[in-house]
Parts: sequence; structure tokens; C-alpha cells
Amino acid sequence: MIRDVTRRMAEVAGFDGAQADQLALAVDEASTNVIEHAYRGAADRRIELRFDARAGELRVEVVDDGKAVDPQAVPQVDLQRYASERRTGGLGMHLMGRIMDTVTFRRAGRSNVCCMVKRKPAAGSGAAP
Amino acid sequence: MSELSVDRRELEGVVLLYPRGFINAHTVRLFEGAIQKALDEGRYRIVVSGAELKYIASAGLGAIMGVVEEIRTNGGDIRLAELNETVQNIFDILGFNHLYRIFPSEVEAILSFREGGGTGSPPA
Repeated sequence: MIRDVTRRMAEVAGFDGAQADQLALAVDEASTNVIEHAYRGAADRRIELRFDARAGELRVEVVDDGKAVDPQAVPQVDLQRYASERRTGGLGMHLMGRIMDTVTFRRAGRSNVCCMVKRKPAAGSGAAP
Repeated sequence: MSELSVDRRELEGVVLLYPRGFINAHTVRLFEGAIQKALDEGRYRIVVSGAELKYIASAGLGAIMGVVEEIRTNGGDIRLAELNETVQNIFDILGFNHLYRIFPSEVEAILSFREGGGTGSPPA
């Protein structure tokens, strides 16, 4: 459902289908991180999505009221070394960063807020991640 | 909730895996299990044929990354074929197209193992 809603909102905001798919993936990854880390695996807790389509960009906030998480604690992914380290986590944050123009995290009261912004490509510039 | 099934067959000594549906954090164990079963049998030539794979999230990409070292160390490789545009796009975003050999067709992926045995980094 999260991907479907995000894709629809992205298309309404003016992104093409491929870009909307990417945005849906980024929000899906952010939501998965919420369940795995802030909610420690509980999939029945509240996740709030806020969409704000402004001139030239789409801002998406993924909000949860789980335990405070420190995204800085997630090691940066170096794909060339990733396999040899036999890691299997951390790719979600990496994907979010590759898809979105900015990804920021803040603690607001008792909530975690992951704010992601994607600028619309200038007309005629073609698709972009 | 997303659904996934993973069928399997073998051809020319290559294990072909057919994920159908969505690979995400909820379903990835099934995908991991199918890969791991091949490894437990000592089968290190694997093709993930993705014609029916509708979506793959980072959990699925991590599952592939988590075994590739073992596979290549044992002289094999895990290769991909017939990815739809959405899935191919996800691989490209993450730079997987530089880490794995991806083929338009399953046949090409199978035949690629004839060329130089198993181990193979993707073409530059």
C-alpha cells in the first residue's frame, strides 16, 4: 500500500512512471527501516506519510513514534567492499540516498521524522535518479 | 502483504531460480532459502530469471550480495536475466549492473557459463 500511495502521489506531483517507481521504492525502504529499527519488527504500529508537492519538488516525510534511532549508526555502504564483508543490511539507506536529492532525519517530540526530497527534473532533461 | 514464490529447475549444470512476485523484507527469507539450498548442494552456477519478478527491495539485493563472495570463491557466479524495466532500474540505481552480469534472456545467461566457466565479474 505504501508503494501504491507514493507512486500515485508522485505521479500527481508530475513525476513520470519510472521516477514514481523510484520514489515508491525509497519510501518503502524508509518504512521498512521504521518497522525493523524504530518498531523492532512490529509491523502493526503507525507509520505516517506526509506528502508536500511544492514548486519543482516533492517532499515526503515518514513519521513514526517508535524508539529514537540514530541513522548515523548505520555504516556507509561501499558496494565494492560490501560483498566481501558479507553484509546484508544497510542497502536501504544507500538506495534512499541514491534515489532522493536529500534524506534527513530528526527527532520531533516523541517521533522520528525521515524527510526525503526529490526535485523534478527540468523540462526536457529526461529521466533522472 | 506481498507474495513471493520461487520455482527452480536445472539446465546444463546451472540452477535456475524463478522468483515470482515481490521480494521485500517480508518475503526475502524464501528467496534466500532457495539460493542457500543450491549452495548447500554445492551448486555455484546460478541464474535468477526475473521475468515474473515484479519488484525487489534492498532486502533482496542484500540477499544476493550476501552470497556472491562465497559463490565466486567456489568458482561459480550468480547471474541475472529477463529483468523487467522496474527491477532493472533498481539494479541500475544501486550500481548492481557493475557488480553482476545481467542478460536479456535466460538462454544467454545459461550459455554465458560455457564461455569462461563460472567466475565472472561483469563486463566493464
